[in-house]
Amino acid sequence: MNTLSLVLAAVGEGRIRGGWEYVWTAYGIAWTGIALYALSLWVRWPREERK
Amino acid sequence: MSKSVRIGFVLFAVALLVSGAWIGLAWAPPDREMGHVQRIMYMHVPAAWMALLAATLNFGTCVSYLWKASWKKDAFAEATAEVGLCFGTIAILLGAIWGRPTWGVYWAWDPRLTTMAILLVAYAGYLALRRFVDDPDRRAVWSAVVGIIVAVDVPVVYFSVKWWKSLHQVQSTPKTVDPQMVIALRWNAFAFLAVLIVFLVARYRIALAARMRETTVPDASPGAREVVAS
Repeated sequence: MNTLSLVLAAVGEGRIRGGWEYVWTAYGIAWTGIALYALSLWVRWPREERK
Repeated sequence: MSKSVRIGFVLFAVALLVSGAWIGLAWAPPDREMGHVQRIMYMHVPAAWMALLAATLNFGTCVSYLWKASWKKDAFAEATAEVGLCFGTIAILLGAIWGRPTWGVYWAWDPRLTTMAILLVAYAGYLALRRFVDDPDRRAVWSAVVGIIVAVDVPVVYFSVKWWKSLHQVQSTPKTVDPQMVIALRWNAFAFLAVLIVFLVARYRIALAARMRETTVPDASPGAREVVAS
């Protein structure tokens, strides 16, 4: 019974504790990738269409 | 499309992306097994979907080009390959970061990961081919053929988790996850779709402008230069 309550408590809170550093790194890579690609498109945008 | 409409759609895409990040990071609940690490899925899965969507569009455009050639189709095929490669790279990097705390490794030679990596290398090769061939007519035909060959890997990527039951989990359904998680995933999927549309339109215009510059007759369709020259 004691073991079961320990297991249930672990399940309720999530078996992987923390992990925010992975989350921030992943979101940072996604935003940076999108921003850098958007910048590359802006740099390559045809001059005649900028007017 | 007027400039104000274009700017308005870009702002709409950015607003969707920012609000989607807040929903994924703060509003959606943590997963029972993976805890907060599961929040990576709200970026990883939409990025992978957009990569496969771009690859499918590339396939359709390549087939359409070989059926009836036009510079617009060639420009759009170039745009879909490059934008798809961008989203696919983001998806595979985010998958690797998610894999470290959940699988214990950044990378495993799992069928889904391997077939996705092959797809990205193949599209990098497709774009390299376009750079190496100077003649626009030959470049368009050869890259259309390569685009069709590369697209064979797209259904393999999608069904790999069903054909070879391995480390990467199979596709989940809304019936098996918390409704808040479904909303977070769909919101971010629409945000990434809006970004994909912005990128495709911009890259298409860049490619089309380049095609127009390098062809002698501005409105010429592929093959017309030989007709004009002869």
